Amino acid sequence: MNKLIPNLELGAQLQMVVAVIFSILVFSSLIFFAWKKLKPGALIEELVVRLKSWWVICFVFLFAALAGPMATCIGLGILSFFALRELYTHLKLRESDRSILLVCYLCVPVQYYFAYKGWYNLFVSFLPVFMFISIPFLLVMTGDTKDIVRSMGLMPSSLMIGIFGISHMAMLVCHPALNTNPDVGKGLLLFLIFLTQINDVMQFTFGKLFGKHKIMPTVSPNKTWEGFIGGLISTTVIGYFMGFLTPLHSWQLIVVSFSVALFGFIGDAIVSAIKRDFGVKDLGDSIPGHGGYLDRIDSLTTAASPFFHIVYLMILI
Amino acid sequence: MKKLLLIFVHSILWRKIFTFFVGLRFYNTEILKHRKQYILIANHNSHLDSMAIMSAIPFKNIHRVHPIAAENFFSKNAIKKFMMVHFVNAVLIPTRRAKNEGESDPIEMMGKLLRHGESIILYPEGTRGEPGVMQDFKKGLALLIQMYPDIDVIPIYIEGLHQTMPKGASLILPYNCKMYVGNPITFDSYKIEDILGVAKSSILDAKNQSSLR
Repeated sequence: MNKLIPNLELGAQLQMVVAVIFSILVFSSLIFFAWKKLKPGALIEELVVRLKSWWVICFVFLFAALAGPMATCIGLGILSFFALRELYTHLKLRESDRSILLVCYLCVPVQYYFAYKGWYNLFVSFLPVFMFISIPFLLVMTGDTKDIVRSMGLMPSSLMIGIFGISHMAMLVCHPALNTNPDVGKGLLLFLIFLTQINDVMQFTFGKLFGKHKIMPTVSPNKTWEGFIGGLISTTVIGYFMGFLTPLHSWQLIVVSFSVALFGFIGDAIVSAIKRDFGVKDLGDSIPGHGGYLDRIDSLTTAASPFFHIVYLMILI
Repeated sequence: MKKLLLIFVHSILWRKIFTFFVGLRFYNTEILKHRKQYILIANHNSHLDSMAIMSAIPFKNIHRVHPIAAENFFSKNAIKKFMMVHFVNAVLIPTRRAKNEGESDPIEMMGKLLRHGESIILYPEGTRGEPGVMQDFKKGLALLIQMYPDIDVIPIYIEGLHQTMPKGASLILPYNCKMYVGNPITFDSYKIEDILGVAKSSILDAKNQSSLR
């Protein structure tokens, strides 16, 4: 247990961010409570369900992020498992793929073990190099070549969406050279999560307020140029002022925040297109009011790995 | 003793495996809570179906609920038979009606259970068919309902478990699945065709309800 929660003594900056997050939650809970009393309706019921889920998400995420590397790896590993399960529920793979599917699920503990140990080279090469070669070969070994190309494409790619991106968040708190002081990794992780979620909210808000020109009308009618650019600028500004969480300088902060906003948008778009192809609104109903796990973390799946590598280059080289 | 074993195996062990590992979500199971005796009818696509339904049944009643299984399928393998009878609480019945004196008759066996106040889980399709395709129901269900019209008949739709463990597979893999318990069926007419028609449409109704969730 001591290893799981070494000590929850956090630096002053981290404490402040935790306080800010919970005051946002308390503040919006109070407003919603008053709103529900004064003007009951369907919209506020929906918002209350969402807010309740946000409370749970914040508690779980903050605990996983701050309680030490092992808790982070286990927590994110479970998240990856849920994300993979949601994907495979809809992918309609062949029956002969079942044994290889087990291999895909087993990649979760292996990848997070590499992250926990901080073995950087194995961590970055295991999925995109070794699994991208071995899974197609294992599929060949099953001997069933009908529609094998589809499985060869889908199964390694599902690992990239479900495991690879998310596991970079674990690497942030486990990489030995980044974590000479344990608060650095935690600060970076909190910065990334906070910024991607703020980016989602900002793109949504700007889109609702000023949205006119659709970016991809056939994929997601809610995404507009106005929302995208407004989100990009406001996230970069907010990221600049949240910089006290990270060891980065001013121009580095601008580049990093801008890339989080950009890659977050890309992940959102990719998962939207996946859902459109499956013909579903959400990938699951595990989080009340938000849909499935992948619906909530869609922007993190693509924002985390570029964030890690940009920060890595800036700090260590 | 048997009750404790069943509670441990189904209400705790399987329930946890289903919710956390497999990703099965239970809807509307509170319908089972305040009833003592019922006939549960469900679609059948996987060996896991019986375990899934058993794990949704409240502690209090679990030892009095029996999945009905085909004797000739399970008696081939002694271990399987033992597991079915003792760990799943199943009752094995022959698949053909008795022609001569002395043979055991499936309808009579199920009727005896119901007379003693026990509940049964019945798969009216008779076998695990193709996933997603509802086969015609066997007549036995209608005969039972004719004999015991006062017992609640509750339809259950299970979606997706055929992916978790399809026919012939021995590996359980996680997929998100759903189980929806419908409201007890009310029959207007007790003709055999009418009973079967209403039963089938109520399971399909539970299917539609589950797809809304």
